[in-house]
Amino acid sequence: MSQGQNGAELRLVTPGSAIGPTSGRRVGTGALIQGDEIIATRVGHVRERHGTVSVDPVASCYMPRSGDLVIGTVIEARSNLWFLDINGPFQALLPMSLAPWKVEFGGTRDHADINDSLLMRVQEVDEVQNVVATMKGIGLRRLAEGAVLDIDVQHNDALRAEGAGLLKRLRDLSDCRLVLADNGRLWADGDAAGIDWLRSLLRAVAAAGRSDRFEAILDAHAANAPNQGDA
Amino acid sequence: MMGGYGDVKLLNDDGTRLDGRTVDEMRPVEIKAGILPAAQGSAWVKHGLNVAVVAVYGPMEAHPRKIQRQDRAVLDVRYNMAPFSTSDRIRPGFNRRSREISKVTAEALESVVLLERYPRSKIRVEIEILAAEAGTRCVGITAASVALADAGIPMRDMVVGIASGKIQDTVVLDLDKAEDNYGQADLPMGICPNTGELVFLQMDGDLSIEEYNLATEYNYKAAAEIHEIMVAALKERYDGGEA
Amino acid sequence: MAAPVPSLLRQELERLAESDQRIDGRGRWDRREVQLEVDILYNAEGSAKVTWGDTVVYAGVKFELRTPWPDRPTQGSLMCGAELRPVAHRKYEPGPPSPQSIELGRVVDRGIRESGCIDMEALCIVPGEKVWGVMIDIHVLSDGGNIFDACGLAAIAALRTAVVPAERFDVGEDHVLAVKGTPVMASFQRVGGRFVYDPSEDEETGGEERIHITLGNEEHLHSLQKGLKGAFTPAEFAEILEVARTHCGELRELVSSMEGN
Repeated sequence: MSQGQNGAELRLVTPGSAIGPTSGRRVGTGALIQGDEIIATRVGHVRERHGTVSVDPVASCYMPRSGDLVIGTVIEARSNLWFLDINGPFQALLPMSLAPWKVEFGGTRDHADINDSLLMRVQEVDEVQNVVATMKGIGLRRLAEGAVLDIDVQHNDALRAEGAGLLKRLRDLSDCRLVLADNGRLWADGDAAGIDWLRSLLRAVAAAGRSDRFEAILDAHAANAPNQGDA
Repeated sequence: MMGGYGDVKLLNDDGTRLDGRTVDEMRPVEIKAGILPAAQGSAWVKHGLNVAVVAVYGPMEAHPRKIQRQDRAVLDVRYNMAPFSTSDRIRPGFNRRSREISKVTAEALESVVLLERYPRSKIRVEIEILAAEAGTRCVGITAASVALADAGIPMRDMVVGIASGKIQDTVVLDLDKAEDNYGQADLPMGICPNTGELVFLQMDGDLSIEEYNLATEYNYKAAAEIHEIMVAALKERYDGGEA
Repeated sequence: MAAPVPSLLRQELERLAESDQRIDGRGRWDRREVQLEVDILYNAEGSAKVTWGDTVVYAGVKFELRTPWPDRPTQGSLMCGAELRPVAHRKYEPGPPSPQSIELGRVVDRGIRESGCIDMEALCIVPGEKVWGVMIDIHVLSDGGNIFDACGLAAIAALRTAVVPAERFDVGEDHVLAVKGTPVMASFQRVGGRFVYDPSEDEETGGEERIHITLGNEEHLHSLQKGLKGAFTPAEFAEILEVARTHCGELRELVSSMEGN
């Protein structure tokens, strides 16, 4: 049994295991109600908040939702649209009309070529998982420098959690500009030393799998960080 | 008694089996989760001398398009025996036996995976048998469940694969190679340990209804034991490691 | 569809190369950690598992009795094949053997065959009638980069610990397969403009041509293969050959340390 960030005991459950009687509680992600019982559907830690029981998964894949900030790689450019890999089950479509540039019909590759990385938002996901992306919005752009690093999506909540300030610590220690996307990708731009440090940190995080370990792993790596100035 | 198979001596005079097990004792089982770095989820299961390794990928776009389902995901399961997994080398490639096992395994797992979460997509489950000593389809199902859980694919229960059978007119749990070759019946099941439901069932040979009931009882008892080992493997993967 | 090669990855590999760094922090000629286990599978007459960084590979040896080729009545045969099944990576699709897996198997096969480490005459039981066929199958379970070296190592380690199952075939007593040397492969890839040893998955994705060198015990060359688009100079080859000598020697010792127990 391990300790969570707030010191509470974390209970690891596996698919099918009973979490407890329903007793009027609702279920969130990673759980379902079977008869009078709440059942886990994923490996993860049980969390109860405001009468809702959910399981924080230890492993997860990215499923796009509208409004998500995503980093995509251009797979295909047609006369009036692009297809991008966004690390989900399906490619996203970016129509010329939602690009931030004045694009001539047939001139898509002049603005975003195959293998380029784009910072976008998910505009719409329909019921059969077709994804339309947009680049109309503040900060959305082609990423011309820096590196795109992999980070499992289950860590996003921990990284963004108010108070903990993990993302800020990452920024300070690595001395890199960072954009944490929702689709398991982190864009980092800065010195090679900062990017190297981030990469080795994220490798350790991926090996551990669990999001509640992020802070402990960061603590362990902090001493090797390139920027010790205000850490 | 079929074909004189019951004539081969498989039980000792004290009622134990040739490898020393009692009639309701299964072979040793070891499980590890998350052992293939390139996979999204993976598992390694050693059951007796059987070794199965499973990798899970997805959900990803299902193609060819004709296998797509608009309302749910499909499981693309491949059961494959490595060429060196058996006594005589197997030529690589699909055969009728592995095709059938792949199909029924997919259907067993589709009964527990929450497929409706992922319309039009597929989840690939790659079962590789590296050493075969009777019961590989069951070991494959157990390993696939652990790998799916390791990949974070939502399921309403896991599935445990286990078989009982009949040797020398006696019902025994978990046939080994000799017992499988010279026994009178084999009853593999896929059991959901929490709900108690069956999602996989095959049988061949000759069993009375009483014998079927006893074999089923043995299978359920073993499924509970194997389930504990599956859960322990996932806990070891996610609760054990150092920060 | 081929996996994308993000332009940012290529840019970064080039930038790292300028300061002689690698994406996973290694030096240009450093190897990832390699673990070797032998005699681990119940039905294989020889078996090995290699864990090489994020790459995991198994090899198994099987024997069969066959009639010799008419022009070589006193010689047995050797066959080495590799399978890149969809278990190994998201990028591998099911289907008939791909050109990549055939290349992989053939490069490993040549290194072992041409080193002469297996005495084909010793595989003869009755001249013109009965000889042993030795079959090595390599199974890639996780492709985390540089599967060639991992496959080569698994194959020779499985062979060197194989037992000829003569009793099962009723042709005498079981005996250890005679293997006279330990051919070992070293692979290099052009990444960010210069060659590196033991490419990782990212380096393979964003890299160019690769070169595979198999060296035997006397440091003789037994198989060479250049793969993928790209061109290199004799001076570049001379440089990586020196690096190959060091690493092949170390890995040969690793294989030797597995034997005799």
